[in-house]
Amino acid sequence: MKSADIKGMLRYLGIVLVAEGSLMALCLVPALHFADGTVDAIGVCSMLTLAIGALLWISYARYRSIDDRRLSYLLVVLMWVVLNLFATLPLMATGATTSFTLGWFEAMSGLTATGATVFATVEALPASVLLWRSMTQWLGGFGIVLLVLALSPHLGINRYSLYTAEASGADNTGRRPVSMAQTVRRTLGVYLSLTAVFIGALWLSGLQLWDAVNLTFTNISSGGFSLSSSSISLLTPTQQFILAGAMLLSGINFTLLYLVFTLRWRQIGHKLEQVGFYLSLCLLAAAFVVGGLHWHHHLPWAEAARLGTIQTISALTTTGSVVDDTTLWWTPLTFLLLILSVCGGMAGSTSGGLKAMRVLILIRNARGILRSRLHPNAVAPLRLNGKPVSSHIRANVMVLFMVYGASLLLGAMALMLCGIGANEAVGASVGCLTGYGPGLGTSGGLGSYAAFSPSAMWVCSLLMLLGRLECMTVLILLLPRFWHR
Amino acid sequence: MTHNKNIDSYRLTIILWLVATLLGAVPYFVTGAVPGITDAVFESVSGFTTTGSSVVADPAALPAWLRLWRAATQWVGGLGLVLFAVAMIPRLRNASSQLYAAEFSGTQQRKLHPHMARNVSRMWMVYTLLTLGLTAALASCGNDMLDSLCLALSTVSTGGFLTTASGMASYNQATLDVITVFMFASGINLALIYNFLTLHWRRLRRSDEFIVYAVVFALAVAVCSVAFGLNGTPWSQSIRYSLFHIASTMSTCGFYTEAPARWPFVASVITFLLILSGAMAGSTGGGIKLRRLMTINLYLRNYFTRMLHPAAVLSIKIDRKVVEPDYVNKIFGFVFLYILFIIGGAFVLTITGSSVAEAFCLAAANISNLGPSPIINSLGANFEYALLPDAAKWTLAVLMLAGRLEIFALLAIVSPSYWRRQ
Repeated sequence: MKSADIKGMLRYLGIVLVAEGSLMALCLVPALHFADGTVDAIGVCSMLTLAIGALLWISYARYRSIDDRRLSYLLVVLMWVVLNLFATLPLMATGATTSFTLGWFEAMSGLTATGATVFATVEALPASVLLWRSMTQWLGGFGIVLLVLALSPHLGINRYSLYTAEASGADNTGRRPVSMAQTVRRTLGVYLSLTAVFIGALWLSGLQLWDAVNLTFTNISSGGFSLSSSSISLLTPTQQFILAGAMLLSGINFTLLYLVFTLRWRQIGHKLEQVGFYLSLCLLAAAFVVGGLHWHHHLPWAEAARLGTIQTISALTTTGSVVDDTTLWWTPLTFLLLILSVCGGMAGSTSGGLKAMRVLILIRNARGILRSRLHPNAVAPLRLNGKPVSSHIRANVMVLFMVYGASLLLGAMALMLCGIGANEAVGASVGCLTGYGPGLGTSGGLGSYAAFSPSAMWVCSLLMLLGRLECMTVLILLLPRFWHR
Repeated sequence: MTHNKNIDSYRLTIILWLVATLLGAVPYFVTGAVPGITDAVFESVSGFTTTGSSVVADPAALPAWLRLWRAATQWVGGLGLVLFAVAMIPRLRNASSQLYAAEFSGTQQRKLHPHMARNVSRMWMVYTLLTLGLTAALASCGNDMLDSLCLALSTVSTGGFLTTASGMASYNQATLDVITVFMFASGINLALIYNFLTLHWRRLRRSDEFIVYAVVFALAVAVCSVAFGLNGTPWSQSIRYSLFHIASTMSTCGFYTEAPARWPFVASVITFLLILSGAMAGSTGGGIKLRRLMTINLYLRNYFTRMLHPAAVLSIKIDRKVVEPDYVNKIFGFVFLYILFIIGGAFVLTITGSSVAEAFCLAAANISNLGPSPIINSLGANFEYALLPDAAKWTLAVLMLAGRLEIFALLAIVSPSYWRRQ
């Protein structure tokens, strides 16, 4: 590790800290407006974050590139950890959380857009802290899109992962590859305009501007925090459907959304398979959930359709906003929601989980193997969007699936070791790793993670980080090989 | 008939298994040993697939011939119905190795003899020798002849049907020790056992999978012994018990001795992981099999190396031979489907009324052909097979078959290309 590379890394950390500090400063607005007595605390925190960030950025402004591959992996993980450390500050300084563990968990849940909360009664929090929670999700949600779409091909992370096929611009339209800066601009544009549109829509539907802003921030980022412990269950149906729309869009590839919004229909064609899969999975699952609610819980069709559809969307996009106390739902329905969250939305969106593209490859690969066992001489390459997927990418997707599954399993076991019951451990492990949020039992539905022991919370935080950075980037840091040549 | 040998093999395999399991259910049903058709089929499938999940409350109360039948179904299923048919029906002796592949571990492995019929007869020879040896050993430990035979059939096939209602607790220590050794042995690839018996010991030492099997076994026993020891069990006893328990779990035999409530948590975790892993490919045990997990592990190691050095050219070697990428992909596909079956099975089980965690344990234990409920209950579940609803029993029966036939044979008959006119 050359010192120039380390300095380059510090520069990147400085940039993200400045971004974080600025967002933190925005929380002064509600602090002043609602006069909740947190102005000093928030002010000091944001100044500190801005100062450290600016210091790093300015002192290492010259170091613009990182040549060391290992450092780029380290940077990605460090970025999340350092951001999280500073995100914990406002929670601690305002006295919202009583211990570092709680603050760390809440901040991690925010930055990874998970939405698991340690607060049993969210309403009691000061306004500035509420906005900060929403902000962390909004920042984290965009952060992951940025990381995946723009930063990582540059850093070399995705050289062997799936996104190369899609994000590097190597599409089959024969067009000049889209540059990174352009991708960032496009994605940011989509994200900002979506945010503005949904704040407007919610406001028009009769919600206070304050609520509209917060809910949009947490739902467009597939996060799932809310301003009350009733999540979105007490909103009017119209408002709930608007939020469902936000969630559904947050699960779609942002480059694709950009093409749709700018009416470039011709370039979309080759990406339709994943959208199709994503939407049809959503539709199928929603049909099952709605049917279950109607026949098993005897809800009238209209209500079953509303609750079922919205909760399905919330789970598939790993948002985690809750429309009803799902802990009271029939077990297969809650189980299905967990399975959906493992599938996740599309690659290049804010959602977590395995991503539609990977699930498609997994399914097609299995089908191909089955076919080849029946017809050993048949040659049928695996195709996605009409393009053959190399055996290398196939195997990488498979191995990621296995690592993901192993993380879920070991996470659940670690939670059980921390004294969580078997059922809740499975729920929390899925909820945290996929970024969905709600698990089963006390942590499920409208519940919170408040009852978890500190050790269990650390396990959950680790799972959130693992899931958000798609396991491999974090796991490679644990190899002794990584640290010495 | 098609002229595709693979399709023919799958067809024959499925027909054999369906016919055998349905016929096998008749004795239970006719004698009234179990209450209904579902129970009878469940018991029969559980037997032939060497799972050992049982709806019979007290096996000792069954008539002697039915006890023997129960044990015998496992023994036949242990090596596989197709192999049984090949050995029994002369006309099948010239069958291709596709037939063999349709049923027996779809993992690349050395055959004992290039000729199919020789290969099969050698496997049967080893299998029979093991069984006879165990029967004699058990009889000499002071058990009566019928009990010894039944236990031997259950052990060598890694079936796990018990002969008494209280598990193995009522047998003397010598019996348990003998069974521990044979459970461990039945987790070993039969070809390796043949080599061992024919004094080609070097083959054993050269088998990477065997080394992994032995190491994992030793580690698991060590951890479990400490866990039991710290829990207050005398050390000598906890070591002995761990040996028995880990051998039973890894070979997916499913015998148990201790009351589940006394299990420390760490032991349960290890149990669950070992249930999924299973033993060596080419043994009579179930599970994903160590050979596959080794391949995945090696691939993962290469993956990390490539993350650091993208240009690296890497291969996977097991037993000093390169595993082809295409073949690695098949293993991945298998494990993916295996997990999918567990999740799907668990989902259906929640519909029939289980909690999520319990459904996972049930599905995992049955697709891995482990079986008996006390072992699964020690993981935190709390159920009795006899009390499950019928739908759950049918689900479990499908899972057992899927696990025993290593999924592909079962999936083959539902895939469109199987039914398409050639």
